Amino acid sequence: MKASSIIYPNLFNRLFSVWFRHYRVYTSHLISNGLPPFIEPLLFLVAIGLGLGNHIGIMQGMPYIEFLATGILLTSAMYTSAFECSYGTFIRLEYEKVYDGMLATPITVNDLIIGEIIWAGTKGFFFSFCVLIVVWVMGVLPIGIIALAPILGFFTGLMFAVMSLLITAFVKTINHFNFYFTGVLSPMFFFCGVVFPITDLPSFIQPVSYIFPLTHSVILVRALATGIFEQNMIWSIIYIAVFIPVVGWFSIQALKKRLID
Amino acid sequence: MHDPIIRVKNLYKSYGELVAVNNLSFEVRKASCFGFLGPNGAGKTTLMKTLYNKATRDKNPETEVCVFGLDPQRDELSIKARTGVVPQENNLDDELNVIRNLNVFARLNGVPRVKADERIRELLEFMELKEKKSAKITDLSGGMKRRLTIARSLINKPQLLILDEPTTGLDPQVRHVIWNKLRSLKKEGVTILLTTHYMEEAFQICDRIIIMDKGGKVMEGNPAKLLKENIEEYVLEIHHKQYFTKVKDKVNSINARVDDSHEIILVYSSDLMSLKDISMLLPAGEFFLRQSNLEDLFLKITGRKLNESQ
Repeated sequence: MKASSIIYPNLFNRLFSVWFRHYRVYTSHLISNGLPPFIEPLLFLVAIGLGLGNHIGIMQGMPYIEFLATGILLTSAMYTSAFECSYGTFIRLEYEKVYDGMLATPITVNDLIIGEIIWAGTKGFFFSFCVLIVVWVMGVLPIGIIALAPILGFFTGLMFAVMSLLITAFVKTINHFNFYFTGVLSPMFFFCGVVFPITDLPSFIQPVSYIFPLTHSVILVRALATGIFEQNMIWSIIYIAVFIPVVGWFSIQALKKRLID
Repeated sequence: MHDPIIRVKNLYKSYGELVAVNNLSFEVRKASCFGFLGPNGAGKTTLMKTLYNKATRDKNPETEVCVFGLDPQRDELSIKARTGVVPQENNLDDELNVIRNLNVFARLNGVPRVKADERIRELLEFMELKEKKSAKITDLSGGMKRRLTIARSLINKPQLLILDEPTTGLDPQVRHVIWNKLRSLKKEGVTILLTTHYMEEAFQICDRIIIMDKGGKVMEGNPAKLLKENIEEYVLEIHHKQYFTKVKDKVNSINARVDDSHEIILVYSSDLMSLKDISMLLPAGEFFLRQSNLEDLFLKITGRKLNESQ
């Protein structure tokens, strides 16, 4: 038999079929999966933005609720992607053994993981989009260039997908994710410019904050909100463009060891 | 067309210190059913996994692995595109219902959407799951899950079907249903590779088997032939040593082989009449006279029971 006579799905279809599996699962529970992305930002903006915001007034030249709203456009993407690629991936890997089944079909481990990363990015896009709708309906932000925020949500999703997958590759029990969420994601939420500007941090800590991926997403989304673009923002774009493939490569290598005997 | 579908030569696979597959060679002919028999830990599952690159074999210059004339480590996709796999654990997608499980797998296998629906309908019918098409996976019985897993593996019309313990833990009825399905697949020209603990399964559907132990091949051949050529036809089980002492002299006088290394005494012989005579001397319920089977063969070769968990 000639190798050339054998047909298998092309790369796009392989990635799409992995993506499709996740999409199917997610949309199987449309109400329980589709409603919270709207409810959560609503609660957050009402309680913190409006309630607390009254006492804060202006932050970085904008009302506090506006400042906060632009930040949570991306933290929602961060959390959904991080959950998907930590708890979600671990459960599929260890408990449900979904990957073992998928790897018996004509897809490679690379396809499997890259498909998953793209799915996490898609969720990031969707969650940012949901926040955007809430923000627009509440009249917090005007309709404008901020409409591009879900694209940033997509890339934020990709960054947290590759990072979470790398951690998942080394996690032995599901409880270890507590450290990740409390020790890595929560600090990012508080110290990457979402709830207050990085410039308010002590000057020796400020550079540390630039190590974290969320900082760069937030810098870019604030630019979309204010319409003020500065030249050094190119570094944030470069950060994102490098972070995703580099960390992604390491996460694939590490997960491969767990997926292939 | 005399080329074998699978050709494996000098295959090794180890996990650290543990050697899971130790210098294994075999060939599988098209449209035949090839079985691997052996206790847990014999290396059966690992061997299967190396055939579709779920496990990486040890690097060894003497090793050759060919599936459809291709090396799984180089042409994983081409091999998987025409192979169906039924893993030991069902690993169905609990988050999707029956039909969506099949749907997702149709996509993963690159089955065009128009063809997928028809194929899924056929498979649900073939595996007798038509009424369950909208059921949740968690609501299915063990037998249904197994049938669905087999249906799933057939979605790409595979030419090679790999089944890892297809009927372990299932009731006899379901087991027979599955055997019948496998027989009809074989008739259609599908090559079947399976692992099993059950000698009956090997007898029922395998044209050829390999008995494995500790990663290596102990014996290979047609199951019925292996028995005929390697072990006495009948066996008398005596349940207590005390009764055996009673008949010991008589046993020694006939052409028989005695295995007394276990709790029960096994007297093997092809001389059925003599075994019957001996059994007459034993109290009822303390002996069992039967035909010997693959388990006895395994016991003879390795000195251990087949289903000992390791």
